[in-house]
Amino acid sequence: MTTIETLNQVFCLVFDDDTLKIHPDMTANDVDGWDSLSHVNLITTIEAKFDIRFTQKELLKQRKVRDLISDIDRKMVP
Amino acid sequence: MLLVASYGFYSALKAPYLLAVLLLVTCLSYMFGLRIAAHQDEVARKRWLLGGSFACIAVLVLLKYLPVLGPDTFSIFGLNRTPSQTIISIGASYYTFQAISYLVDIYLEIEEPEKHFGRYALYLAFFPKLLQGPIERAGDLLSQLKQPYQFDHDKMRSGMILFSWGLFKKVVIADRLSLMVNAVYNDVHSFTGISLILATYLYAMQIYFDFSGYTDMALGTARMFNITLTQNFNSPYAATSIAEFWRRWHITFSRWILDYIFKPLQMRWREWKTWGTASALVVTFLVSGLWHGASWGFIAWGLLHGVYLAVSVFYKPLQKKIHKNLRLEKTKYLKIWQTAVTFNLVCFAWIFFRANSFSDALYVVSHLGFGLDNQVMPVLLTSGKISLSILIMSLLMLSLVSIAIKLTNIKETFYAKPLWFRWGAYYGLVVLSLVCNIGVDSLFVYFKF
Repeated sequence: MTTIETLNQVFCLVFDDDTLKIHPDMTANDVDGWDSLSHVNLITTIEAKFDIRFTQKELLKQRKVRDLISDIDRKMVP
Repeated sequence: MLLVASYGFYSALKAPYLLAVLLLVTCLSYMFGLRIAAHQDEVARKRWLLGGSFACIAVLVLLKYLPVLGPDTFSIFGLNRTPSQTIISIGASYYTFQAISYLVDIYLEIEEPEKHFGRYALYLAFFPKLLQGPIERAGDLLSQLKQPYQFDHDKMRSGMILFSWGLFKKVVIADRLSLMVNAVYNDVHSFTGISLILATYLYAMQIYFDFSGYTDMALGTARMFNITLTQNFNSPYAATSIAEFWRRWHITFSRWILDYIFKPLQMRWREWKTWGTASALVVTFLVSGLWHGASWGFIAWGLLHGVYLAVSVFYKPLQKKIHKNLRLEKTKYLKIWQTAVTFNLVCFAWIFFRANSFSDALYVVSHLGFGLDNQVMPVLLTSGKISLSILIMSLLMLSLVSIAIKLTNIKETFYAKPLWFRWGAYYGLVVLSLVCNIGVDSLFVYFKF
């Protein structure tokens, strides 16, 4: 599975919505219920799923889904 | 030229050390900004960021709390008398925070450092926002300062009317309310029950009109120079939750503490899930209280808001269930209820903000429910019947105009009217402000911060 497919699964899980389809330009404004609390859940779930850990700087810079994808991909490179 | 005018404006306060502080913070943050950008290495960049932020905060803390430590310290600076508590740090809290946001944005590579020292200095010192904010982000203000100035008739015009509108709010409404509020809050033990409640509600109105009036004046003045500053208020008392209140009250400040204190803390403590978020909220708003001042009242106020938000974070899932079960979701009644509850929670916290001492605040809190004390009319009539009528009429006028602006295109209709009509209105507003000026030796409430 590609990063975006796995990430989509995570989104569906965190926001309890199986119909959710993410795209790179998506931001928190585009998803119902994506607030600062659910954002933390999202981050910790992503980190658990991909077995990675984001740095403070990465977390503060993330604005769109594409930022998440590029950060994940960069960390997954062996 | 604007820079000279801005420094001139600040120096009009006759506290030369304030100019030194502004210059110091400007030089420090300008230099540290360049240093952060000059390094590629993450560790080095972080070190410069921390150094710069620490330096700016140190300046602010010294300025605010040095007088508390001893009035003798001022003789070192050649001042013969201690400036009033209000004057001591006017503006410093605002531009210091602005400088720190600049440094962080460079560190996060969201912004490039400003190489032109004059422009950077103006970014901090721009006089419309110098004394009470808004706290502008580099991305918003610096880019505008780069544009050459072109006279814009419409902007000059709408800027002037916005300014007059703010002046009206401050001088006619806020100052009038302050007299009534002061009558109670400067002598709390003479009152009980309903007058305390009334005075608190009036204070909620006073501080809103005072601060939003100032903001209108700041935005209006800036607009005359073709600069758009960030709006600080958005019908705050219409909020249906404390979280929403903070998205509508002192917007630039709450965005600052959200981006630079809450988010980093929340992320750092993400393993603690909801507890992490709740703790981050409490700490953030504690800092907010401290920013306002070194008194137990401000700390209590900040802590209250932090606790409100922390509790709501735990309560939210339960709240959703309750609303669903009672089938109240998205109904009008729920909205009204939530607005009323939020307003009262905010007013309760204002008690600590306004009271002259912590013990006064405790007195008010413990006597809110103690019935009628026949003081309501005297309080309302503190400055006489005419004054009260002016207040009521002004509030009515303000409400009508606000509603009209929202529901109709009255603005276009107004600007389409002939010159004499419009200028009549501008002059009318200003004259009204001058005539109805309560003559109070008033300072803007938020000047103190």
